[in-house]
Amino acid sequence: MADARGSVVPVIDTADLHKRYDGVDALRGLNLQVPAGAICGFLGRNGAGKTTTIKVLLGMTRPTGGRARVFGLDAAAPAASVEIRRRTGFVSDEKDLYDAMTVEEMIHFTAPFFPRWRADLERRYVQAFELPRDRKVKALSRGMRTKLALLLALCRGAELLILDEPTSGLDPAMTEEVLQALVAHVAAEETTVFFSSHQIVEVEQIADHVAIVERGRAVVAGALDDLRESFRRVELVFEGAAPEAAFRSPAVVRAQRKGHVITVLSKAGADPVLAEARAWNPISVDVVPVSLKEIFLETVVTVEN
Amino acid sequence: MLWYKSWLDTRWQFAIGLALVMLSACATVIAYPRVAKLIPALAPISATGEIGRRIGEAAELARTYRGYVFSQSFRQNLLQIATLFAALLGSGSPLTLGSRGAALFTLSLPVSRQRLLGIRAAAGLLELLALTIAPALALTVLSPGIGQSYSIVDALVHALCMFAAATVFFSLAFLLSTVFSDMWRPWLLACAVAVVLSIVAFAAPELSPYSIFNVMSGESYFWHGRLPWLGLVASAALSAAMLFGAMRNVAHQDF
Repeated sequence: MADARGSVVPVIDTADLHKRYDGVDALRGLNLQVPAGAICGFLGRNGAGKTTTIKVLLGMTRPTGGRARVFGLDAAAPAASVEIRRRTGFVSDEKDLYDAMTVEEMIHFTAPFFPRWRADLERRYVQAFELPRDRKVKALSRGMRTKLALLLALCRGAELLILDEPTSGLDPAMTEEVLQALVAHVAAEETTVFFSSHQIVEVEQIADHVAIVERGRAVVAGALDDLRESFRRVELVFEGAAPEAAFRSPAVVRAQRKGHVITVLSKAGADPVLAEARAWNPISVDVVPVSLKEIFLETVVTVEN
Repeated sequence: MLWYKSWLDTRWQFAIGLALVMLSACATVIAYPRVAKLIPALAPISATGEIGRRIGEAAELARTYRGYVFSQSFRQNLLQIATLFAALLGSGSPLTLGSRGAALFTLSLPVSRQRLLGIRAAAGLLELLALTIAPALALTVLSPGIGQSYSIVDALVHALCMFAAATVFFSLAFLLSTVFSDMWRPWLLACAVAVVLSIVAFAAPELSPYSIFNVMSGESYFWHGRLPWLGLVASAALSAAMLFGAMRNVAHQDF
């Protein structure tokens, strides 16, 4: 997606986004960019601001400050918000749909709202997900409801899929089935996916971009490969007790001193840490890559402190 | 499809309301031969006070079939049922009704909140129209069965007066449904307003010409053959204002 000047416009773009509910700041200056074609995992603890962000992007909630754009459209403008929703598939964290309708009625209800509804995908997913067309939604299991909600999102012919905890409450087998369906769909349809989760394993499994949100701010964001490349844990071992060293480099996310060892988490490779550490003459230096789980835990703990 | 969804959301309220108004209309017609036999033997009622006056007036009205139908149906049974069900049909916003997941699914559709609400209001008003017209027509259709006749024009005029005034309770419940997330508080509050208005009309008979229930029963049409234009226009204006208020409310709401 490119703007009039030919520069690439992110599908999702928020700047200094704020949302305040009844005296509580749900979002506190969220900056987030999701490029077209990305599968972006939106990680955060419960109450970090994931669902609020999604609601703002879909026009369900109005921001109290900053801006949120989807496809370059202002998510807070009612008319633009309708257009955003026309081009977006959505699955909420609660997979409840209309209890009184059957699976067939749910599909027939949803399809006319989306001019690019994919009847071919509809037939394929009804079969693949083994959805009983004549069964009422209220009689479906949670797993089946999730599959139906996913079908209703995938068949919209959407350019963007926004999925709020798509696998919450599912057993591991069903989770795997849903994730595989999602990956296969994205590979075939070239859709951008933005999905929130607190399951780091599933984010690592399917995402190529990650944003970690904590207390309403994105504390880490970028391509997953870049993050894996740039985050490093550096262990500095000293002959005696480790010095009371204070790192000046902004790359240092967290430094922990314990006995003879200082463990440093850097978000810009090991070099800035090593450059400073040389002055303290460590007897050994160990640089190790960091998993997404560690990045998540370390950044979230750092914000908390 | 939003029409269909609105129908699914309200069909039980509508079905129960329709069953009640039809039963009421049938019972009114079927009971008349027995009432007609008793009326000549009835001594003039000289009870005092507003209740006495009303009982006496009802007995006098029952001397003619037209008066009996007006007194029993349009002034009492249908009026009360229509009020309750107008409020019930107006209760429950399509944006909050049902589970949270269902509401979020509705909000994720590429439809403006105003359109969602507008269609729900239109569907509810059509059901309310059916609830007022169907029993009125039943009165006309069933009357020959007991050897009486009831003018279809009278039936329709009373039904339309009832509909126009009942929209006030519908719209009040509709407006309250944009404030409360459940359907029972809007209904109870709208019913409470109706009860207060009827108590005021009862306690201050001099104000009863201005009562919404006078407009609803088509009192001026029955007695003078005139439509209560002022009341009808005021009801329509009040309803429109409350529906507009509901639209304004949801435009700024967070879900």
